[in-house]
Amino acid sequence: MSTIQDFSGYTPTWCPGCGDWGIGVAIKSALVQLNLDPSSVAAVFGIGCSGNMNDFLNAYAIHSLHGRAIPNAIGIKLANHKLPVIAIVGDGDCYGEGGNHLIHACRGNHDITVIVHDNGVYGLTTGQVAPTAQKGFKSKSTPAGIIEVPINPLMLALSSGATFVAQTFAGDTPHVISMIKEGISHKGFSLVNVLQPCVTFNKINTYQYYREHVYKLLEDYKKDNIKEAIQKGLEVNEEKFALGILYQVERPSYTDQLPQVHDTTLVEKKRFEHFEELITEFI
Amino acid sequence: MIDFSLIVGGEAGFGIMTTGALFSRIVTRLGYHIFDYVEYPSLIRGGHNAYIVHVTDTETRCLKSTVDFLVCLNKDTFTIHKDKLTSSSYVVYDSEEFGIDGDNKKVSVPFKKILEELKGQAVMKNTIALGAILALLGSDLTILNALLEKQFGKKGQEVISFNKQFAEKGFNHVKSQYTSLITALLPKKESEEKLVLSGNEAFSLGAVIADCRLYCAYPMTPSSSVLTTLAAWQEKTGMIVRHAEDEISVINTAIGSSFAGVRSAVGTSGGGFALMVESVSLAGVTETPLVIFIAQRPGPATGMPTWTEQGDLLFAVHAGHGEFQKIVLSAGDVGEMLEVTLKAFDLADIYQLPVIVLSEMLLSESHASLTKSFVDSVIKQYALRRGKTITESSEKPYLRYKITDDGISPRLIPGAKGVFYQANSYEHIEDGHTTEEVIPRIQQVEKRGRKWQTYLKNDFEGPKVFGDIEKADTVLISWGGNKGAILKALEVLKERSKEVAYLHFTHLYPLNSEKLKPLFTNNKRYMLVENNFDGQFGRLLRLETGIDIKDRLLRYDGRQITPEQVVEKIL
Repeated sequence: MSTIQDFSGYTPTWCPGCGDWGIGVAIKSALVQLNLDPSSVAAVFGIGCSGNMNDFLNAYAIHSLHGRAIPNAIGIKLANHKLPVIAIVGDGDCYGEGGNHLIHACRGNHDITVIVHDNGVYGLTTGQVAPTAQKGFKSKSTPAGIIEVPINPLMLALSSGATFVAQTFAGDTPHVISMIKEGISHKGFSLVNVLQPCVTFNKINTYQYYREHVYKLLEDYKKDNIKEAIQKGLEVNEEKFALGILYQVERPSYTDQLPQVHDTTLVEKKRFEHFEELITEFI
Repeated sequence: MIDFSLIVGGEAGFGIMTTGALFSRIVTRLGYHIFDYVEYPSLIRGGHNAYIVHVTDTETRCLKSTVDFLVCLNKDTFTIHKDKLTSSSYVVYDSEEFGIDGDNKKVSVPFKKILEELKGQAVMKNTIALGAILALLGSDLTILNALLEKQFGKKGQEVISFNKQFAEKGFNHVKSQYTSLITALLPKKESEEKLVLSGNEAFSLGAVIADCRLYCAYPMTPSSSVLTTLAAWQEKTGMIVRHAEDEISVINTAIGSSFAGVRSAVGTSGGGFALMVESVSLAGVTETPLVIFIAQRPGPATGMPTWTEQGDLLFAVHAGHGEFQKIVLSAGDVGEMLEVTLKAFDLADIYQLPVIVLSEMLLSESHASLTKSFVDSVIKQYALRRGKTITESSEKPYLRYKITDDGISPRLIPGAKGVFYQANSYEHIEDGHTTEEVIPRIQQVEKRGRKWQTYLKNDFEGPKVFGDIEKADTVLISWGGNKGAILKALEVLKERSKEVAYLHFTHLYPLNSEKLKPLFTNNKRYMLVENNFDGQFGRLLRLETGIDIKDRLLRYDGRQITPEQVVEKIL
């Protein structure tokens, strides 16, 4: 049995009060509660304040490029589908720079868990606007307010074929833990969008703001109804944020559908050596 | 001596390439060597397609400047290629569809009538033409029929018989109407068993032999047939072949799978590689093994997608921000492609870096015969080398980026119990954690840098020398698919008592200056031959060694270098 301490690397360098602290603790707690240890999990980090968790979390990991954590995670999963793979990314990372990868990871139902730190701003580059920021949000790169309307991550994932879409709030650690555990346990692609206050650069979407705008889905909420999920997803446009699993269905994952890895993982397979079978095709 | 050329031309989308591939296979099975090439526009329908083949009784890796048999499935074929005809050339056409002129041997085959009679589709004109040409060459239909049975076997006897009768009609027409023109150019000959292989197929076969388990790509001419070949094989080989959403995802998928321990490769052309470049740098700093196959085509931007050029050498060499190590290799023909591919996967693992294998449309899509005994011996001699890849470690903490004399640190495959590490795109200390400190930065930069020194000492190979470099007064320098034309030119020049040598480079970057300098002396004429405008290998050679070659034969019209061009430039 591992402990939080086993997963703890360097002491985090996040700003005091940053939502990342809660998410960091939640990820470690979830991994402990799932009986994993640093040798039995793979994590891929994007670039940003969230990605900086690479030094604070012990695991087999890639600290990747901005936007590219998802394809790295897919690659790890293809090579070793028995290894739980999580991608720890930011909103600019995953919904901006790497948005295309998210769409196609949903379609492929790649069995990875994408945990997005959604704070509406770029923290590490000191406060430019992110794709999830509300229209009119003033930032260093949009001094007159952002012209675009925000990306709706939940709707994006739902319409792209994701089989698990959840939302949680960094101010409610037990809920974050539970969503991450559910996401990792889900067989197939899972998106966990974590609403996260940036205490330094986002003076609008504060802890107080979220406490007033979030609500938890009820016990009897039906997770397998896409229309219901879409309705909940659309509420974001009215600044109403449902917390919980909006949508979850079973569909064979990408590797489930690859006969070549039915019996064993790609990395553990015996080398193919019947070259004669291929050579005869050219004669 | 058998040495003739054939062109089959017609409208794009009507099966010219399939017919060509069949012809190459028939001729090879009859005991001859072939080198073929396809010219086609970037269209699915319309435009002109031509399959061009050179048939010889000894190995060939280039085309002939004249055409001995021109099969015109439409009038354009005659118009486009008539300049290559001589008075002894044969022209196969349908006089009911169009007339032709000039001093040549005209063989009219009623394609249109036969199609109508047998209720065939336009694409079956090809089969009629194959029958006619085999008759003209003095051969028979045995092998063609066997190949048709193989091709249509799954569709049943009826489909096989239906297709066979088109070949018979063409064959019998020539036999009965043109008896006096029939040659004896293709008697069945005893010879070694041979494969007919394109450069892309050689790379694909090499990747499987090298135990590559993941191939990821986004289709791009002229690299796409690697993707389709490996995808068709995956149930057999167990490889995972992923057609990802874009080239950025392609390379990052492969970096992920390689990190997780499986040999991984990606393939593309220049434009797709441009999208991958940031992640080439990621593979460099995380020291993740990766093989990148680039089939070059003329750029910039979309350029001329279906033609050939060597314009991406310096781009490949310099691809990626920051200073990191990579190796660039290339091959001159299908046999070399097989060898270079095996080595590329080994080097990627041994030095833990990206290895680029450069091809160009000429090599990627042309076919050549290759003896089976050569392929068998390459497989037999190949002993997979994974360098310092390890599957367990008792070290705590495990030092992924441990400082070593040769610059290479043991690389643990993730999953081993009791340990963990991160492959970090930030500069890092030995255990992988991020750093911005002076000393570890210097140590890691220098550690990575030593990998090149180790490579240049242990695995770099200088150019292959063709001809007698001592006696030669002229020495050619080149790389890639120009090899075939240059070797042919050397033969022609030798017949004219002109002694010329050729330095053929396959290990393009980095270059070992000390090994190369003795090959360059003051009393010879050195000439660079490249399929690009800038003489890019010449620039690279100067950059790496200080050797400056002023005499150059460069071609950048999307067409390949020919033996005639080389001969003319030298004389």
